[in-house]
Amino acid sequence: MTEPATKVAALAVEDIVAGYGGGPVLDGVSISAQPSTITAVLGANGAGKTTLLRAISGFVRPRRGRVLVGGTDLARRRPEDIARAGVAHVPEGQGVITELTVEENLRIGALATRDRAGRTAALTDAYARFPVLAARRRRAAATLSGGERQILVIARALMAAPRVLLLDEPSLGLAPKMVAQVMDLIRQLRDESGLTVLLVEQNARSALGIADTGLVLNLGKVVAQDAAASLAGDEGLRRHYLGF
Amino acid sequence: MQEFIEFGLGGIGIGMIYAAIALSLVLIWRGTRVLNYSQGGMAMFTTYVAWLVISHTGNYWLGFVLALASGLVLGAILERTVVRPTVGKSPLNSVIVTIGLLIFLEGLAGIIYGGQYRSFPAAYSIHGLKAGSFSLGISPNDLFTAVAVLAAALALALVFRYTTVGLRLRATAFDSGVARLLGIRIGRVLTLGWALAGLFGALAGVLVTPSTFLYPNSMDSIFVLGFTAAVIGGLDSPVGAVVGGVLLGVVLSYAGGYLGNDLVLVYGLVVLALVLMVRPSGLFSSATARRV
Repeated sequence: MTEPATKVAALAVEDIVAGYGGGPVLDGVSISAQPSTITAVLGANGAGKTTLLRAISGFVRPRRGRVLVGGTDLARRRPEDIARAGVAHVPEGQGVITELTVEENLRIGALATRDRAGRTAALTDAYARFPVLAARRRRAAATLSGGERQILVIARALMAAPRVLLLDEPSLGLAPKMVAQVMDLIRQLRDESGLTVLLVEQNARSALGIADTGLVLNLGKVVAQDAAASLAGDEGLRRHYLGF
Repeated sequence: MQEFIEFGLGGIGIGMIYAAIALSLVLIWRGTRVLNYSQGGMAMFTTYVAWLVISHTGNYWLGFVLALASGLVLGAILERTVVRPTVGKSPLNSVIVTIGLLIFLEGLAGIIYGGQYRSFPAAYSIHGLKAGSFSLGISPNDLFTAVAVLAAALALALVFRYTTVGLRLRATAFDSGVARLLGIRIGRVLTLGWALAGLFGALAGVLVTPSTFLYPNSMDSIFVLGFTAAVIGGLDSPVGAVVGGVLLGVVLSYAGGYLGNDLVLVYGLVVLALVLMVRPSGLFSSATARRV
C-alpha cells in the first residue's frame, strides 16, 4: 500500500479522441483544470460528458490524446492503476454497493491506496465530516436515501485521498434541497482540500453556481470554455446549450 | 426405523460433498459469472496428487494437505492462464474453455496414471457406527467428512465477513466496475477466488474418493450433483450451496433407498425441477434485482 500523494495536481486533457466502437464520441477535446478549482462540464445528453470522465478514469481507452495528472500521462492505463494514481471517479448512478454496509462501502474506498493506519484515519475523518454516515455506519447501504447515497459515494471517493475528483451528475434524482446540500459539499471540498474537481452536470444552473470555470460540450467537441460567471451570463449560450 | 435414520445420516454425509463442490462453483460464479465445468476434473486431478504422495510416503495426512495445496495452485494457474482471457467476452467463451479444461484434465490424468480404478484410503474407519445394537448408517469417516466441510465453509464465511481480503472478494463480486474505480486489482482477486474454489474442490475430492475409487472420470457424477445443489441453493449464495448440498444428499438418499438406486440422477433432476418451479433463482438467492 502506498501512502496517498499529498500534493494536489492539475488535470490536463489534450486532444482526446474516444468512443465505443464506430464513430468517436469525443472528437478532439482539451481541458485544463488547476488545483483548488471546480470545472463544470456541461452540455446536452449524448454530448460526451460521461465519456469524457470515463476516458480520464480509464474505463474508455482514448484512441488519441493525453490525460495528464500532475504532469504524468495516464491515458490508456488500466482503471485501477489510474485510481491508484489519485484520480477518483464517482460514476453516474452513484455506484453504491447495496449488498455491503455503509462502513464497508467506505472501507473499500481506501483498500487500494492506504495502509491500515491510513484506513482507520480516513474512516474517522469521514465520520467526522459526514455525521449522517456515522449514524448509519452498520446499516446496509441499500437502506439509504438517494441523497445519503450520493454523500456516501463522495465520502468513499475521498477515502483514497485523491488529487482529482470526477463527479458525474451528482444531483441526478435528488430533491432540490439535497441538490443544494451536495453542491455545498463539493464547494467545501474544493476550499478545504484543494482538490481539482471536474463536475459533469445536466443541472447547469447549480453547477455554474459553484464552479470556477465551465466548458460546454456538443457532439463531442468543446463549443465554449470560460469563467463560470461569464458562461452563466451569456444568454444565448445558456438557451442554446444549457436549457435555462 | 433404522433404515430411516441410516438413509438420513448417510444423506447428510454425501450431501456435504455436494456442498463442497457447490461452494467451489458459487465462489467462481459470484465473482465472474463463469460456471466452472472443470471443477470436478480439478478435484479429480488433485486427488491423484494426494494418491501419488500417499503411495510414495505412506503418509495420509501429508497427501491430504498437499492435495489441498495443489488445489489452490491449480485454481490460480488455470484462472491466470486459460480463464482470464474469457473475462468480459461472450459467456460462451468461458463455457467452451472450462469444458475444454475438463477434457484436458481427464485426458492428462489418463495418460499419466492410466484409466484403471485405484483404491484411495479414507482418513478414518469406514465401518458403520452403532448406538448399542442400532446401526446408525454412518462411519467415523463420514463424521470427519461433515466436520471438515463445515469447518472449511465456516472459515470461508469468517474470511469473507471479517478480513480485508474478504471485503475485496465481496466488493469485486458485487460490482467489479466500482471496485476497479476504487483501485482494487480485480485480476488478483479473481485469481484468489479460483484458488479457493480449487481448494474446496480438492477437499471434496479426497473426502469422496474412498467410496468412488480413483479414476479419471471419478468426479463426473459428483460434479453434476454438486452443480445441481448449487443451483438449488441459488448460485449466488454460499449458504445456499451448503444447504442445497445437504438437502439434495438427504433427498437422494431417501429416494434411492426406498425407490431403488438406479434412478438417482433422475431423482436429482426432479428435485431441481421442483425447487426451480417454486423459487426460480434458487432457495437463497435474493429475490429482488440489484437496485442501483
